[in-house]
Amino acid sequence: MTIPAARRATIDPIDFEIFAHRLWAIGEEGRIALQRVTASPIVAQGGECMCSFYDADGSMILACSGHLRFAAATSDAIRRLIEWFEEDPGIGEGDEFLVNDPYIAGSHTYDIMQIAPVFVDGRRVAWVASSSHTADTGGLLRGAATEIFHEGIRIQGLKIVEAGRFRNDVFRSIVEQCRDPHYVGMDIKSRTAANNVATRGYLGLVERFGIAFVEAAGRKLIADAEAMARERLAAIPDGTWRSRIYGSARDPGAKGASAPVLYEVLCTATKRGDELTLDFTGSSPQLASDQNSTLPSTMAHVAIALTNQLFWDVPWSDGRLAPVTVIVPEGTALHCRFPAACGRSPRIGQYVVEAVRDCLAKMLYAAGRRDEVNASWGAFWYLGGPGFFYGGHGPQGLPVPQGLYDIHGGGLGAAPTRDGVPSGGQPNIPSGGISDVERIELQYPFLYLSRNHLADGGGAGRWNGGAGTARLALVRGSRDLTVDLVPYAGLPHGAAGLFGGYPSGIGGVRALFEPATDLAGRLADGDVPATADEALASGAASIAAASGSAGRAPLPEGWLVSDFTQGGGGFGDPLDREPERVAEDVRRRRVTSRAARLLYGVELDGGGAVDTAATQAARTLIREKRRTESRPPALADPVPVGTWAPLVRFHPVLEVGRVGDAAPLVRCVRCGTSLGPAGDNYKAHALRRDRALEDLVGRPMPDGSPYLAVFREYACPGCATLLAVDVWCEQLGGEDDLRDVAVDAGRP
Amino acid sequence: MADGARYTIGVDIGGTFTDVVLIATDGATHTSKAPTTPSDFSVGVVDAIRAAAGDLALAPEALLGRTDLVNHGSTVATNALITRAGARVGLITTRGFEDTPFIMRAVGRVDGLPAEEVRRVTAVTKPEPLVPPELVRGVRERIDAFGEVVVPLVERDVEAALDALVDDAGVDAVAISLLHGWRNPAHERRIRDIAATRYPAERLYLSLGSDLSQVAGEYARTNTAVANAFVGPAVRRYLDGLEHKLRALGFAGRILVMQGNGGLTGHARATPISTLQSGPAGGMLASAQMAGRLGHRGVVTADMGGTSFDVGVIDDGYWRYADEPIFERFRILQPITDITSIGAGGGTIARIDESTGRLLVGPESAGAVPGPVCYGTGGTEPTVTDADVVLGYIDPDFFLGGRRRLDGARAGAAIDERIARPLGIPAVEAAAGIKRIIDSKMSDLIRREIVRSGLHPEDLVLHAFGGASPVHAVGYARDLGVREIVVFPSSAVFSAFGIATADIVHTRLATRALALPVDPALLNADLAALEADLLDELDRSLVAGEPAFRRYVTLRFRRQTTGEEIALPWDRFSANRMVELESLFVAHYDRLYGAGVAYREAGLDLAGLRVDLVGAVPKPGLRAVDAVRAGTPPVPEPKGERDAWFDGNFRRTPVHDFDRLLPGAALVGPTIVESRFTTVVLPPGSSLSVDPYGNLVIRP
Repeated sequence: MTIPAARRATIDPIDFEIFAHRLWAIGEEGRIALQRVTASPIVAQGGECMCSFYDADGSMILACSGHLRFAAATSDAIRRLIEWFEEDPGIGEGDEFLVNDPYIAGSHTYDIMQIAPVFVDGRRVAWVASSSHTADTGGLLRGAATEIFHEGIRIQGLKIVEAGRFRNDVFRSIVEQCRDPHYVGMDIKSRTAANNVATRGYLGLVERFGIAFVEAAGRKLIADAEAMARERLAAIPDGTWRSRIYGSARDPGAKGASAPVLYEVLCTATKRGDELTLDFTGSSPQLASDQNSTLPSTMAHVAIALTNQLFWDVPWSDGRLAPVTVIVPEGTALHCRFPAACGRSPRIGQYVVEAVRDCLAKMLYAAGRRDEVNASWGAFWYLGGPGFFYGGHGPQGLPVPQGLYDIHGGGLGAAPTRDGVPSGGQPNIPSGGISDVERIELQYPFLYLSRNHLADGGGAGRWNGGAGTARLALVRGSRDLTVDLVPYAGLPHGAAGLFGGYPSGIGGVRALFEPATDLAGRLADGDVPATADEALASGAASIAAASGSAGRAPLPEGWLVSDFTQGGGGFGDPLDREPERVAEDVRRRRVTSRAARLLYGVELDGGGAVDTAATQAARTLIREKRRTESRPPALADPVPVGTWAPLVRFHPVLEVGRVGDAAPLVRCVRCGTSLGPAGDNYKAHALRRDRALEDLVGRPMPDGSPYLAVFREYACPGCATLLAVDVWCEQLGGEDDLRDVAVDAGRP
Repeated sequence: MADGARYTIGVDIGGTFTDVVLIATDGATHTSKAPTTPSDFSVGVVDAIRAAAGDLALAPEALLGRTDLVNHGSTVATNALITRAGARVGLITTRGFEDTPFIMRAVGRVDGLPAEEVRRVTAVTKPEPLVPPELVRGVRERIDAFGEVVVPLVERDVEAALDALVDDAGVDAVAISLLHGWRNPAHERRIRDIAATRYPAERLYLSLGSDLSQVAGEYARTNTAVANAFVGPAVRRYLDGLEHKLRALGFAGRILVMQGNGGLTGHARATPISTLQSGPAGGMLASAQMAGRLGHRGVVTADMGGTSFDVGVIDDGYWRYADEPIFERFRILQPITDITSIGAGGGTIARIDESTGRLLVGPESAGAVPGPVCYGTGGTEPTVTDADVVLGYIDPDFFLGGRRRLDGARAGAAIDERIARPLGIPAVEAAAGIKRIIDSKMSDLIRREIVRSGLHPEDLVLHAFGGASPVHAVGYARDLGVREIVVFPSSAVFSAFGIATADIVHTRLATRALALPVDPALLNADLAALEADLLDELDRSLVAGEPAFRRYVTLRFRRQTTGEEIALPWDRFSANRMVELESLFVAHYDRLYGAGVAYREAGLDLAGLRVDLVGAVPKPGLRAVDAVRAGTPPVPEPKGERDAWFDGNFRRTPVHDFDRLLPGAALVGPTIVESRFTTVVLPPGSSLSVDPYGNLVIRP
């Protein structure tokens, strides 16, 4: 192979490699230092942190492993620091700024960045930044805020270190605004430690290679990333993909128990040549609660989705986003206007990630890059009830660390040739994890009665989505524990299945349980429930109507918290899953026998083995219902007689192709049935039926509130294979057969 | 070796060869090798001992009859994990937590994978578990984080679990791991008693989490119990079989087993899982002993083979244990020498990235198959070894002492075509670039390990071993700023050497959650109890004199998750020493993270205790090579010369035979020193001298 002259490094290629690896190694050293010094379990074990390098103007040269959200954010913060403080008070050698304003960078006030300029011979040549999640910034406890002013300290740039001296006045003034000053202080120290490592390392590189080389190499890292990103995009067929993800929030105006506020994230991804446009027009207006995303937060979450799925092997520099245009109308929940509250921005950010990923998964499938295709990672079949942000004190009298992040062990989406990974992680932090229960119990006032994989936790499909975990925990050792609380919303959140797979699983209970008066005695007798259902069925506890106001609920000693984490979406029609595999799922407690029957059409005998005849009959019946219970499809001309020339296989069972010079059509590759012209929405030509959540789930919402959405199935009118399962919320309305794909048939 | 000498034999089973080191009472040593025999490793061990006896003109029976100790490092456990050829294991755990080994704390999806792999976010999955979900049974019981029983053990659940696992499913081994077993082992022990009443030990192997670790963290502790059960029967069978074979050849001494903590234990008391990484631990121990003899306070070890590059740090004669070492992608809790590994070796592939034109070296490896291009065994992508050949560092006719002929022309052509031409530079410059890049990557890894230990490269001596390390050592040592490199003549059998000369070491690591200040009397009682446990474990007949203890505490600032371990300079605490401890910790913190990061106001917690018991095994002292006669420093004669690439030119470079370099000899670069196992490259500006033990001491 010959490299075009323009692409050849203008600097010595050997030195460049050495530089690139060392810069990465220094960033890793910085991150490790941060994780060892921090007081946040979510940072130490969950990996919510980042150490990164920027050029003199603030363009990101390289971010290392860790939380992607931070990597994307800090460039903006550096530009503001320069704009605002260059003149007064000035930016000098040995300074380090603390920033946590989500209207500048980051997602919420808990994302704290410490940013230090690097000087060589009196000239500012670069910046290093270390960022992490500190769950305490003072203000109202999580859940109640309606303005950013409720969310604690919001700093646009204070020198925590000045001319190499740690500033105790600044330090004290910040930490004393918080509930747990020592915790916040420890975290500030951890970021300073990481910046010390990064700065020292960067200066070492300058000493070795000279500043001219280091600056040129930084530019090359950015240029290389852009070249790789463009090349990746160019290899994908042109077209437009769309997705719709739902979420819900609290209505802060309502008193007591209230209906949720529903919203949607709508994403249109248009790929032309080597560029990509992501347009969020049509997403819901901003909310009155703290569930809003500032523009920097939305951009950061877009970067996460692109990095995980599309640009995973492209170095993390700003260059990789150069070919991507993002459109987010102001005043939407994805671009809220100051001073909207945004404490729950990571939640809505998660839906941005899922909306982008859903488009990318279909785009990558059409490009034949099957290894990079995953269904959604963030699916909850309902949300609401108690969250996981605690307040109060633990058994030793220390304030409870606020978040308990079992969500970092959610199930991952199914892939074209395998099930999704159960409890595999969380998209923001590909290498993160959750804490041991034993370690949690040393820190939090809980006694876990169980933490296992959630049965029916993943979306059903030919390949199942991975399940998240379910926990049942007893409040033990606190007199004043509280938790954030939002209204129940019986609507699949963050959910998208792929190509006929179900968007989310249907298992799990999220609620506070009031214990039976004799629970302690039951435990002493060995009568200990291991699942929420068991606790309810045995009478050990009952679902409590959570009391509380302003977004918080008390957690009395001896009560139980039942919760579960997100699961992955399924891939392909569940009726295509081998019955033996479903039987194994049931044996392994991943799928209940009820779901096996209902979603997979698999009947098991008393010993748990597949009843082949009954299974065949059940599957035939399900296909039959798909025909008889469906809206009749719009008529499509049949595929003309002649030789079929496929153009784009954009779906496992659908492709665009043509016969001779006839107009391109969409065709089912299994039965040959036409689903209409390539320019049409294939869903209009498919069988469509709605499945009520109450029928699928088989139980009411914990508070008896109504389900607010249906699973909308689209099937091939010829062979009744499921082609898509969408979540549809009538209350929000919109395009009722969301056209999810329009490939440009002109290009193979 | 004198007649009537008695011997200690050190054995290390490696991937390709089984190494044996004999040490006679007079301190003389002898080494031999035989091919490793994976179907029954004991065959290779006996072959290697026979070969050693043959070299000494002894019958094997005569040698073994005079042998007091066979100290044994084995890869049986590692091998059983890698090949998944272990026992059929069942797991009994706390009901409600049956999925702990499959949830893997979520981080199990990426544990043990290199950074490049972790980034393949949509493709990375969890490994196949060692225990299938169907063979996990929960029992009702619950102990809290303070050791109090909240739910008493329901014994009929235990009976039902044993019915299902042993009687119905026919498992060979049962792991028992309950929540907070680290704090209170009562329920686990009761389950063991019930199982032991039902089944004889030969029928059912039992493995308790609380026996294996007293550290909090149920995921890794459960893995440890499961992995121990998985490899346990195989390790036991193997050791018993080996003992039988050796006894049949007249061996009347004791078999001691090397552990990953760098110490030996009696065969009968060996915990199978503790033998993981015993080979590398033997190497670390040999380095530590050599460091003691040569007066090196801080050492960094660098072992570069065909596919991996392993780094360890020795500080003041000892090393840290890894927090939760990962084997075959499973985290475990065992005191195991902290050795970090990256995929960088002779087989590491160099290629040009099409989109950016970058010259990438690694992480892909050609391994042994297809191997480097110069092997002529099907490899087409140029590797580090190919570059070393093109640069003249490795003699194609004397690789591994001529055991493998290399095709230098083929290597040159591959580098030219795939690297040099796309970059528009001559092939030899491309080869030099490949070497510089891999040297720099290794230097990055070494630096990280050194910094993590709170040390500085310029204060350390680098011990280079493995076939490929000495070729590259000066390159990465210069980059690091290390001032001295030592290459050992015995480095090819270094692990066996360390194992032969090891002592008994038993270790206890225990989680604590104590806010300082703590009553010193309480801590002293705690230490005393741990020491008593270790003394119970010790077989006194194996050691000479009173055993010694090494004591460590892990401290952290309150609210932190991770602590730092520091060695206690005293055997017991007092009120004054508690204050001194705080200062020691803060000083350590400053060294690690820079001044001002320590945050005393937050308060300190004591998060863990560690005690090592060291029992000295009687053994001969090592001899220096016969002393150099005064006044006649030997002037080494090169065995030949060849062209090697230094500083942009090929230079005629003398080549010396390692085996013929005697103590006192001195050489300056450019020079190459070769042995049957390795090649040492000295570029211009570097020099070496041979010390009294025959070691090459290099000034980079």
